[in-house]
Amino acid sequence: MDRRKLLAWLAIVAGIVLIAIAAVYWAEPAKSLPSFFPGHQAGSAHHHVKHGIAAFLVGLAAFVFAWFNTGQKKTPASAG
Amino acid sequence: MPISYFQGALLGLLQGVSELFPVSSLGHSVILPRLLGWHIHQNDPFFITFLIATHLATAIVLLLFFRHDWWRILKGIGRSLRDRGIAPDDTDAKLGWLLVVGTIPAGILGLLLQDKLRSVFASAQSAAIFLFLNGLLLYGAERLRRRAPQVDEDDDARIARQVTWRSAFLVGAAQALALIPGFSRSGATMAGGLYVGLSNKDAARFAFLLATPIIGAAAVLKLPDLAGKAGNGVRGPAAVGALCAAVTAYLAVRFLMRFFETRTLTPFAVYCCAAGAAAALWFAFS
Repeated sequence: MDRRKLLAWLAIVAGIVLIAIAAVYWAEPAKSLPSFFPGHQAGSAHHHVKHGIAAFLVGLAAFVFAWFNTGQKKTPASAG
Repeated sequence: MPISYFQGALLGLLQGVSELFPVSSLGHSVILPRLLGWHIHQNDPFFITFLIATHLATAIVLLLFFRHDWWRILKGIGRSLRDRGIAPDDTDAKLGWLLVVGTIPAGILGLLLQDKLRSVFASAQSAAIFLFLNGLLLYGAERLRRRAPQVDEDDDARIARQVTWRSAFLVGAAQALALIPGFSRSGATMAGGLYVGLSNKDAARFAFLLATPIIGAAAVLKLPDLAGKAGNGVRGPAAVGALCAAVTAYLAVRFLMRFFETRTLTPFAVYCCAAGAAAALWFAFS
């Protein structure tokens, strides 16, 4: 597997994980988040919506990266 | 009313200028009320709500000022997505993705650190000291800048050629310094731009483009606070403050884009050092 393809697969996995994390942030209050998640707070009913948005957007960026890396490789010759 | 119309107007005028000048808007918003003896503290919910309105106004002004550039950049991003790659000569697409790469660390660090840093560095004294350090940062950036040959005629082509993905990420991350009252967002990004070899004018342009989504998104995300309970008694002064901020932000961006064609960050460095030192001494002995 070449380097571009490997990076694309890693980005896809990262994107899926990040979007899953976003869903957890949106669905669960701060007290129910896993303790290693930023924003976890025992007894708090606050929903970290913004953390979810950040995770979602970075997940989206990972998918975009994968999209670019699975496209035709651009060289100055092929672009012209 | 926790904040009067006069206070709202004055803080709005100050916010519009200091958000774009590399002199820390948050630092000034912390220091000025203390100097004038106003009972306004940066962590007061009503003041945070007030700042949302002025930040939103500043972001809208930046968006309108650079509207033609944003339209080209968005079209460039669209083209690159369609072609699944950035064509070597597609400056708009490269600039657009550089802005995305720079915005990601700023957004994440902002979300994770904003509340913590604001509570740790809440005092006017610390803001004055950090304003002084901001001056040193600006001066250091001018001293350490890399002077790269400027071969392209077009502003965006120069930026796209000079700024690498890694440096866009680092310059974006440097914006997180602005979470500490006293350090300037535009100052940190301009300093980063100079360090990677941009001219003062290009560094300012890149800083303003980079600031727009992050200031706008931060304000939009907190907009429900302004409409909700936290906005009670603040909405009128916040509207006046936002209007004042919009006027001075427009004048500031117009002025700065011309100023940096020929001038450097040094005058702002001198101002920050002098104002920071004077305010720190005043707070220490008053």
